[in-house]
Amino acid sequence: MNETSLLQPVRAAGSSALSRPDEKTVTTLTEHVVEVISDSGEGAQRCGQSLGGIAAKMGNGVWTVEIIPAEIRPPARSVAGASGNRIRLGARRVTNGGNETDLVVAFNEQVLLGRVRAHELKPGCIILLESMWREDSDPKIAASYKEVHGQLVAAGYRVYEIPMERECRTVVADARRGKNMFALGMLCNLYSLDLQLGRDQIALTFGKKDKSVVASNVKLLEAGHEWAERNLDFKFRIPAQRATEPQIVVNGNTALALGILASGMEVCAMYPITPATSASHYLSDVFEKVGGVVHQAEDEIAACAFAIGASYAGKCAVTITSGPGFSLKQEGIGLAVMGEIPLVVVNVQRGGPSTGQPTKAEQGDLLTAIFGSHGDAPKVVMAAGTIEDCFYSVIIARKIAETFNMVVVVLSDANLATSQQPFPRPQFSEAWLAPPVDQSAVPERAKPYDWDASTGLARRFIPGQPHGMHTLTGLAHDTLSHVAYDAESNEHAIHSRSLKLAALQKTLKTPPVFGDAAGDLLVIGWGSNKGTIEEAVEGLRAEGRKVSSLHLTFLQPMPPGLKEIMQRFKKVMTIESNWSDRPEDDLIDESNRRYSAVAMLLRSRYLVDVDCWSEVRGQPIKPNTIRRVILEKLGRP
Amino acid sequence: MSIAATECLLRLHDEHHELEDYQSGVPRWCTGCGDNAILAAVQRLCRDENLRPEKTVFVSGIGCSSRFPHYMKTYGFHGIHGRALPIAEGVKMARPDLHVFVNTGDGDCCSIGAAHWIHAIRYNMNMTVMLHDNQIYGLTKMQASPTSPKGLKSNTTPRGAYLDALQPLTVTLGVQNVSFVAQAVDWIPEVLYDILSAAFHHKGFSFVRIIQRCPEWLPKMFEPWLHDPQRILLLNHERGLQVSPGLAKVYKNQERHDPSNLNRAREIASVMDPIPVGILYRNPDVPCYEVLRRSDQLRSADFIKAGLEAEFDKFTVWPQEAQERVKPHA
Amino acid sequence: MLDAPTHSENRGAMRSLERGSAMPSNTPSEAGEQAQVSFYLTEKRPGATLGSIDGLGLRPALFAGYRDLTKLRYDFPLVLLHNAPDESSVQSLSGLFDGAFAEMYGAADGERLRSYSLRMECEIRAQVAGGAGGSLTALWDEAARRLLASADDLLQDGLRRLRTSLKGDGEVIDCDGALPARLLGSAWRTVQRKKAQRFRDDINRLIAKLADILKADAARSATGHSAESLKASMGSAHGDAFDFAAMSRLLTKASSSSALHEGRRRRIERLLSVLRSQEFFPAFNGATNPNETAAAHSFVFESCTRALEAYRERLPEMIEVAKARVMAELEIGSEYNEAAHDPIFADFGATGLDPRYAVAFPDYLVCLNARDMLPAEASALLDILSAGLPVKILLQSDDIVERSPIGNSNFAVGLRSKQIVTSAIALGDVFVLQSTSANLFRLRDRIFRGWATSGPALFSIFSGAAGNAGGIPTYLIAAAALESRAFPTLVYDPSAGPDWASRFDLRDNPQADLDWPLHELPFEDEAHQRISETVAVTLVDFLACDRRYAQSLARVSWAQGNGRMVSVSECLTHEATGVPDKLPSVLMVDANNGLQRVLVDDRLIRAARRCVEMWRSLQELGGINNSHAARLLARERQSWQEQAQRSTEAAAASPAPAEQPSALPPASTVSAPEPAAPELERPSDEPYIETPRCTSCNECIQINDKMFGYNKEKQAFVLNAGAGTFRQLVEAAESCQVSIIHPGKPRDPNEAGLGELMKRAEPFL
Repeated sequence: MNETSLLQPVRAAGSSALSRPDEKTVTTLTEHVVEVISDSGEGAQRCGQSLGGIAAKMGNGVWTVEIIPAEIRPPARSVAGASGNRIRLGARRVTNGGNETDLVVAFNEQVLLGRVRAHELKPGCIILLESMWREDSDPKIAASYKEVHGQLVAAGYRVYEIPMERECRTVVADARRGKNMFALGMLCNLYSLDLQLGRDQIALTFGKKDKSVVASNVKLLEAGHEWAERNLDFKFRIPAQRATEPQIVVNGNTALALGILASGMEVCAMYPITPATSASHYLSDVFEKVGGVVHQAEDEIAACAFAIGASYAGKCAVTITSGPGFSLKQEGIGLAVMGEIPLVVVNVQRGGPSTGQPTKAEQGDLLTAIFGSHGDAPKVVMAAGTIEDCFYSVIIARKIAETFNMVVVVLSDANLATSQQPFPRPQFSEAWLAPPVDQSAVPERAKPYDWDASTGLARRFIPGQPHGMHTLTGLAHDTLSHVAYDAESNEHAIHSRSLKLAALQKTLKTPPVFGDAAGDLLVIGWGSNKGTIEEAVEGLRAEGRKVSSLHLTFLQPMPPGLKEIMQRFKKVMTIESNWSDRPEDDLIDESNRRYSAVAMLLRSRYLVDVDCWSEVRGQPIKPNTIRRVILEKLGRP
Repeated sequence: MSIAATECLLRLHDEHHELEDYQSGVPRWCTGCGDNAILAAVQRLCRDENLRPEKTVFVSGIGCSSRFPHYMKTYGFHGIHGRALPIAEGVKMARPDLHVFVNTGDGDCCSIGAAHWIHAIRYNMNMTVMLHDNQIYGLTKMQASPTSPKGLKSNTTPRGAYLDALQPLTVTLGVQNVSFVAQAVDWIPEVLYDILSAAFHHKGFSFVRIIQRCPEWLPKMFEPWLHDPQRILLLNHERGLQVSPGLAKVYKNQERHDPSNLNRAREIASVMDPIPVGILYRNPDVPCYEVLRRSDQLRSADFIKAGLEAEFDKFTVWPQEAQERVKPHA
Repeated sequence: MLDAPTHSENRGAMRSLERGSAMPSNTPSEAGEQAQVSFYLTEKRPGATLGSIDGLGLRPALFAGYRDLTKLRYDFPLVLLHNAPDESSVQSLSGLFDGAFAEMYGAADGERLRSYSLRMECEIRAQVAGGAGGSLTALWDEAARRLLASADDLLQDGLRRLRTSLKGDGEVIDCDGALPARLLGSAWRTVQRKKAQRFRDDINRLIAKLADILKADAARSATGHSAESLKASMGSAHGDAFDFAAMSRLLTKASSSSALHEGRRRRIERLLSVLRSQEFFPAFNGATNPNETAAAHSFVFESCTRALEAYRERLPEMIEVAKARVMAELEIGSEYNEAAHDPIFADFGATGLDPRYAVAFPDYLVCLNARDMLPAEASALLDILSAGLPVKILLQSDDIVERSPIGNSNFAVGLRSKQIVTSAIALGDVFVLQSTSANLFRLRDRIFRGWATSGPALFSIFSGAAGNAGGIPTYLIAAAALESRAFPTLVYDPSAGPDWASRFDLRDNPQADLDWPLHELPFEDEAHQRISETVAVTLVDFLACDRRYAQSLARVSWAQGNGRMVSVSECLTHEATGVPDKLPSVLMVDANNGLQRVLVDDRLIRAARRCVEMWRSLQELGGINNSHAARLLARERQSWQEQAQRSTEAAAASPAPAEQPSALPPASTVSAPEPAAPELERPSDEPYIETPRCTSCNECIQINDKMFGYNKEKQAFVLNAGAGTFRQLVEAAESCQVSIIHPGKPRDPNEAGLGELMKRAEPFL
């Protein structure tokens, strides 16, 4: 129990006699991972978000992830109740949440315990812990605090007990509420951030409320800053280069919603489901301002059907959902494929199957997206790899859907949905917008499904167009959209709908390889693992390892040239966040191993021996984990 | 007013339509099927209202009756089982300028599509909905439907249906925002036409239940009503259905019913015999969802750009030198 | 109007004169009487018996109650509320205050608030009367400052609450020379603002929808499928994920090239340029930039000539825009049919613009003052009115007592304006409103109806602001002009109905069914007895306010006011022949409310006589004492009486009591039989179908489509009974779901199995 040495400076400061800023050690870092956690409702979320915003303005690389409790309102001080934010600060652009946490601010020891047990904290991690519980009136609480504190110290964490609430009370009445801004002040000081930016940030977040709210929060901010300056014996500096162009800081779901705005689509039909819903929340707030409608349907099926109806009669529409809802939409998706109605379906993936892990990240829906519905239902599937992607994917999806009269599924996941990363503010172009609904007369006796022999493309007739009258049907139909049970018509139609995928594939370019074009190992990934994989690969390449990576945005159809790329590497593997059998298990061998989704697709399509590694822990994969996996795959050099 | 003038000018020159202009193909329904009567009545309505075929959409689900759009020379959407209503809602939301009709059967609407039915009433979007209720699944060869009478023997209820039939009228009249409910029978074409016409002119969700004979599976089902006019209760009112003298001679059993009287409408709706025929309820003041959502507002590119840039501003981190451009949103 | 005030504190009975006042008090004498007669005839004042009224500040007796208008609650001043709809944009100060007070009605301190509200109103009215103007807010603040000088928390609080419940703000205007132009002007702006909004919304909608047609075409076109536009449409992030050249090749190859045909494209582009460049209402699109307003015409003019010119030169542009709107509607509905519509639009508006189209465009406003109106103007004015142009003309007269062209001894009252008004009414389709400023507030609904009419409108307003009335306020002069029939209120509204009865309206004149309105005049006599006299207000009372006619009036003492003195109205009833035995006089009051009798000369009487003549002719138009109606009635009554006479004589003559002739039918009459059923009964041996009941179920057609057919309602009938067998008829009858087929009797007696068939047919006969 040599905690005294650790706690000395603070204890001393408690009696405020000797504060020794002169002895402060200022360490310069390339990156740091910070967590702010509390019971939900104590504002740790906001504290973290603000820290991210400030750092971004400073010019640091930033990636923030929400820490969401499993339950809606977990009891106070419960291990499962940690709510807050995880902020990765870097000297350069940050593309993912990074590894374990370096520094954590905890409002009570229990939520902290939750994080420790989840192995989210680095060994020796710095802990700034609210100390009020030590003198809590309830002896049980006081006891558990002391016990946990003891364990943490014993475990080698650098624990700083900080009387946050007491300090806040010197500034404001309701200290419990204000604590988060006090913490923000401390962090600004610890990471040598410009306090003025902190004040601006507060003005921005509380701007809607009245001046007094802003003022008191600024007071708390300054108090926290002041306190850390006087009482803490360390400080960090993460060098940053000021951004030269305006950046947007939003999470993936907000980016999706902005993308819908920018795509010129006018109808979004949805049914509440986690984690997709927050996109609809935001969209509902802003869509009507640009003449759009967010329709909350009576169920997922209706949402899909509503979107299909809107698409059929007007501009391409979108429906947003997550796993279970996506399954419910499958019949409708089949109809859209059959009728060749453009439709954008966004699936913000979560842990499955069934209700699974609603708030956690997973990549389990890829095969459903490609092979879902029934019969031969070819559709386009693409996955967003970054926050910025979430914005542009929707615009592209709308364009492809309307150009090829196809269903386009855009896959995101809970990781992107709740993470924030700055990206360059988009320059709006009118070309993004869906063209007006075509109401001009079609040539007399023109056929509604006049499939082009080589591309399978046919011009869509929209209600209102003279001479275009026909009855769209989910039954097998001929070029006149007449119900047709005869063999020729049926095959002709299926053939044509399938050709459209090939046509699209011919317009795709081979994606660039990250790293050398040839080498020992090629790591293939998709979706939100992009940044993590590239970070790990970059690190290993710096150490002279011959590893490269390839990120796939289009998964159906797959872009050309993949086989050629794979053949230039000794080994190829995918790293994914979905289940794949572990070769080390006794029962698992080549004859029964279930591969991860993309690995399976690549193997079947290109006859290349693609290995895979995956985990389904509900958390984004960490760069270090990938580093480990790659090293194992490469074997000793 | 100059708009009105334009219309005068149009009326001078728009082509008048004949029944043939709305007919497409030869119906594949069984001879004697009530769907034929409904089709004829609807085609007459389109002709008399001189609807432009390209501005008219018939949406249906799955079932015998849902083949309906194929026999109309307008736009049609023959969708999937039970989803006709949400599809039609999407159409109307995207294109309030279109005339939207829905053809749905008792299985399509009251069973697999029941959830959509309830909520469609609540949305009250301006469309005319025909429930072709023959109280049996025909296309899949005689299974009991939710409206099949208790005791009906069918392939899925060989010892007779176990439950009382669901009453589409009382259900509809029980839902908030209900704005138009009527009942017709296929064997009185004149009334069928008048009711469909009233439904078409009502601005809102017009629900018309059409009791319909299935000569294939239930040939005798409605014999008694067919041959005894006294077992039909005609509802008449100056604000409802006006019964022609010729018809009044045949159907003497009538009641004067004010369609604005919801409670009486509910009582009438729950009567099975005699079959009430006419307009049970009409409330023109229920707002339409597509109007509440301002679905017809103009969306110019500038408009969208302005909205988008405003949103970007909220989330933009400006470079330091441009700090002053950060504007807190009051 | 004179009945406006509601406070009557200083309308009490008048102090009577005391004997031995300034007047020479000699008993009635021959000389005196002769002097009066000669004055009456010649305006000469022999001897000292007839005092001049100069400098006495006399005013008609009925004005006695209106010494200090600021102490009275009446229609003025008015408040022109900003952006309130139509007539509600014109409010009287009192009205607004009452409204504000009503908000807090039933408050515990209601009474005190009421008194505050009155004090405040009075204060503001005083300021305005003193020439202050501007917004209600400004005036309120100023007034509040004054009242609160004597600081009082209660008052302060009361005023604050009143202020919050006082809805809306706007310009406060009093009844002065500027009133007509400002009131009408603001009404014009209110109406135009609404029109502009409608017009803009419509134009913007048309522009957007037309542009959409072109955009949709472009998206389909080769340029839409070019690599560049494809790249642009995908956004920057994934620019290198696609081979846009390849995509372009594929799409161009696959897309059916059905571009907009050139004629239509050019037509749409032309329509767009017309609609975008129209200058009638500055078009701005809310979404783009609200502060940008395109160049626009002005529609307010000082002269009819210039308004007419402007209209003439803008007409072609107007026709173009109107035409473009109609064509755009057709294009948007893709209903434009060149064969049918080209010719229509080729000579669209060649025969002038259909008012139905014109109505959407702005109205012109012309403000004139009769004083400086040249003959050319007058004719331009009439041209506008008779051409039915959408021009609203305000003709303001400050002085309606003009010297007549035939010499200075005669004068005519309101002749110029009357000429114009009567000729405008004569046109039949012009909205005409004549009124004095005093009455404008009460006519505001009519004023707005005038704006609503698509055609021309004429507002002839007498302001009373000529300034010949000494100390008498403009409001009183204007009111007097109305009260004395000098300038009656009349409205002619062509839109109100097909006939004069519904179009022509005099009801806003006081006691319109009389020649002169009557008023009770209470005062005290020498014995301080309170007495009251009914007096008629005549034109003379109005003229008596005018200093220029002082010489036509002479004050006479009460003593001399002997039996010969009669009121003007009475004097007018009998023609004057030879030496008048009665002399007309009016009652007036001096500065201290002393009652004076004033002798009137013949010149004013002549004017009054003409005035009442004009009034009577108006009455007849307004249906009051209508001579035609009267005669018709008389004739009817006579013939009725004669008939009654004859019948009684007949009754007396005939011995046997004759059957009483009666218009009524006998009580016992059988009611008419029910109308026969629409379809005629057929002989039952011919086969037939009750076609209207057919459910189009195809049964019979399936059996024999030569024998049965569908009519144009798709309902079955017997096409040709001979085309099949009786058996088929019977089978059809049996299979018909609604049993409406009647097989009748077999045609071929030899058909097999007839007997059995006949039996089967029976139920269907």
